[in-house]
Amino acid sequence: MTFWQRLKYLRPVRRRQEERDMREELESLTEIAGTKELGNIALAIEDVRASWGWTWMESIGADIRYALRALGRQPAFVAVAVLSLALAIGANSAIFSFADALLLRPLPVRNPAELFDVTSTTPDNPFEGMSFPDYRDLRARNRSFSGLAAYRLTTLAVAANPTAPAQMRFAALVSDNYFPVAGVTPAAGRAFLPDEASSSAQPVVMLSYDFWQQSYAGAQSAMGSTVRLNGIVFTIAGVAPAAFTGLDRFALPSLFVPLGMSQRLDGEMADPLEDRGRHDLVVKGRLSAGSTLESARAELAIFGAALEREYAKTNRNRHMSVRTELQRRIQQTPQLLAPVKMLMGLVGLILIIACSNVANLLLARARARSREIAIRLSIGAGRRRVVRQLMTESLILAMAGGAAGLFAAYGGIRLLDTLSVPSDPPFVLGVRLDWRVVEFSLLVALASCLFFGLVPAWQTARADFVSALKAGGEGVSGKGRTVGRDVLVAGQIALAMVVLIAAGMFLAGFRNMLVKPPEFRTDHLISLDTAPAVVHYSPEQTKAFYRRLVDLVRTMPGVAGVAMTEALPLSPAQTVATVVPEGYQFPKGRETEIVFGAAVDARYFSTMNVEITRGRAFTEDDRAGSRRVAIVNQQFAKTYWPGQDPIGKRMRLDSAAGPVAEVVGVAKTGHYLAVNETPASFAYVPYEQNPRSRMTLIVQSADNPAALAAPLRDAVRSIDGNVPVFNLRTVATLYESRATGTWLQFFQMVGTMGFIGLALATTGIYGLIAYTVSRRVKEFGIRVAIGASRRDVGWLVERRGLILAGVGILAGGALTAAAAPLLAASFPGLGLSSPVVYAIVPLVLLMVSAVASYVPARRAAGLDPLRALRNE
Amino acid sequence: MDLLQGTLDMLVLRTLRAGALHGYGIAKNIRSTSNDALDIEFGSLYPALKRLEAKGWIASGWEMSDHNRRAKYYKLTAAGRKQLAREHSKWADFVSAVGRIMGSLPEVKG
Repeated sequence: MTFWQRLKYLRPVRRRQEERDMREELESLTEIAGTKELGNIALAIEDVRASWGWTWMESIGADIRYALRALGRQPAFVAVAVLSLALAIGANSAIFSFADALLLRPLPVRNPAELFDVTSTTPDNPFEGMSFPDYRDLRARNRSFSGLAAYRLTTLAVAANPTAPAQMRFAALVSDNYFPVAGVTPAAGRAFLPDEASSSAQPVVMLSYDFWQQSYAGAQSAMGSTVRLNGIVFTIAGVAPAAFTGLDRFALPSLFVPLGMSQRLDGEMADPLEDRGRHDLVVKGRLSAGSTLESARAELAIFGAALEREYAKTNRNRHMSVRTELQRRIQQTPQLLAPVKMLMGLVGLILIIACSNVANLLLARARARSREIAIRLSIGAGRRRVVRQLMTESLILAMAGGAAGLFAAYGGIRLLDTLSVPSDPPFVLGVRLDWRVVEFSLLVALASCLFFGLVPAWQTARADFVSALKAGGEGVSGKGRTVGRDVLVAGQIALAMVVLIAAGMFLAGFRNMLVKPPEFRTDHLISLDTAPAVVHYSPEQTKAFYRRLVDLVRTMPGVAGVAMTEALPLSPAQTVATVVPEGYQFPKGRETEIVFGAAVDARYFSTMNVEITRGRAFTEDDRAGSRRVAIVNQQFAKTYWPGQDPIGKRMRLDSAAGPVAEVVGVAKTGHYLAVNETPASFAYVPYEQNPRSRMTLIVQSADNPAALAAPLRDAVRSIDGNVPVFNLRTVATLYESRATGTWLQFFQMVGTMGFIGLALATTGIYGLIAYTVSRRVKEFGIRVAIGASRRDVGWLVERRGLILAGVGILAGGALTAAAAPLLAASFPGLGLSSPVVYAIVPLVLLMVSAVASYVPARRAAGLDPLRALRNE
Repeated sequence: MDLLQGTLDMLVLRTLRAGALHGYGIAKNIRSTSNDALDIEFGSLYPALKRLEAKGWIASGWEMSDHNRRAKYYKLTAAGRKQLAREHSKWADFVSAVGRIMGSLPEVKG
């Protein structure tokens, strides 16, 4: 029959109708001819039905119905299996999506694998970047890249008109070929024209899709209209597509502006694009057809050396390098790598535990079912049909687990996506469900289900099924045939132990971190950032602005004190200082050190309550023209002047030829960028001697600091309405989000992993022991009948659980010992050698195992010997 | 005697040329026409009938039999008639070709 003829019979209704017809016809014929003449009527109908070609579908339907019925008889088994899979798949998907958002997500460009990061570094500066002249030369002369785009991330004050208050927004100052190299075409309007790149061109801007939607409601009329950036009028040329969120991970630019506008936007005297010593550009290159990463590296090494010869002053010790995006991210945020690795390791272990749990359950079922399968085989079911039946069951199980897992993953991601850093403009994490990992976890679940689901088929196929039938319910399994499953359960406990110890370490470290109070005051403080430079103040005007602001705020009601700093501790935007400490022996190739550093005013230390352990704090006398001074933290003193008195030491600032400052005090070492960082060196310089263009105002309140927010905003506006105010928040809020918030999330995640691991291992051991009891009912009956006490029988069962747990804990101990250095290296700041954890985790596991086997043990002890013996 | 593959369809079509018959009637007719040489099992005839019906070469309908019993009768359709003509000429070609090769029955020398 052709396909089209068969298609008529696709509808089950049609087939049923046809079958009824045939039966009626054949019955009438039987009356005419008699049964003997017609032969096997059922077979004839069967043949016709086969000729329609849909029997495979019907039998699959039958398989599914049968599988659902079989599974429905064991709701506990199904619940545990589905829950195990759901937890594993959910945890894996959520954590991987998290890791993806932190580190792994490819850039939102065409063929991201072709795009590489090109940068230049010197040995003494971990913060790298390209200068525009270097970039221009490289772009003109290289052969490795088909396109090289440069950009610089900055914040701009955006206002619709001269009277509207300005908003701070991330912006990317981009080279003319930025969008073509990214392979991105505008969603509306147009991209930049080549002649818009120069600094004298008409100012144009492209918007991000989100910003277009937020501020212009996605209106086409926005094209060609104007917007003020740092007080300069720009014409809106186009809009980037929704998927293109720039080339950085967390800072998503709202605006794209040609690099040529740098000088005018920042109000600088010299054109930064002509300064070969200013290394602040990020450069991305798209590899050309014939090149490889290696050939590009080789070419750039030579090119870098040529630049070094040509421009010895600016390019000394400067090397060009090419990295993959991932390499760049890891180098930028090494502190993310460890938690991400740890979380992924933990969820990997959990996936293994869950799969072995499901395996164990399926194996237990396999024994119980071998008799059923033997019967089906003996009454003529094809082996293939039996295998298909078992596969159907496994598939249903895996699919149910997968669906539940997706729900779990979705919930987890919703939870993780609430992570953010409160800043103006906000940094976004953007956790999205990653389908690659959902697929991966599903596949693993599916594979383990199918593999272990087929074991019974394989067993009965191997064994002579007559003997399986004869052996009755015991099947082919004797008492000693659970070795494989014992190993699985012991392995689960071992892995759960690793997960728990890692989680416990993290917990202990986290507790240390929380219990330790911050090294600065967080209560009764509110801070705000201003940037007078964006409205093109001269340095003198800026100084005057801040002086007026501080004087004004100090007289405001409810204000107990005012101080200024370049960067608040633990704020995401830390500033650095270039120093040359006296007498310090630099490693070869280096001549300056870059440490955390900030310009602060005289009241900073008292307002923030930062302890001066030796010497003095800055005073009003440390002003411009007086002797230059500095304060270093304890870590700085320990690193550069070990065993010496830092007071009175001198160091050069900014460069080897910079001004000399004398150390007058030592501050207590704190945490500057993250609470889990290793102790870092910090250098304070007085603001009056080192004026900056952008400062943070710290205001101490008599009462609730949040109540000062509006008056502070008004105070700035009363001096100059065009100066943007941003990051207006209490210090407590900042501290909580940076110190507790993020880590609490990590802690919850790791804690959840530990809990899931423990729960899965517990179900594993419970399942095995309960199964053993049900298999040994007859034996226990005999034991009780010939005089064993109930306690003896119970202990027999309990002992088995404890032995399994013991073996698992020993193996887990060995595994942990092997993994410990790795863990300790991953979390340097956390102090992970907590002996308490090592003691508690095995105890917890032992206890949980004891409880898990106690339930079946009680059942064994409570058996009625007569009924147990009759039980066949 | 076993049937050559594909011959059954042709025999059914040929049998129905004389007039409508029910399933068992077709089997009986083939048997008697071949002088009991071809005893076709109803179990294989029936799926063939359904196949021919699905192809549109025969059609069926409920009618009263000679003995006043309801039965499903099959009759040749126009398409079936054309198909029978095609099969017939193919069959004739086949028989004459095989005949030329085989010749008359050889004598067996003892």
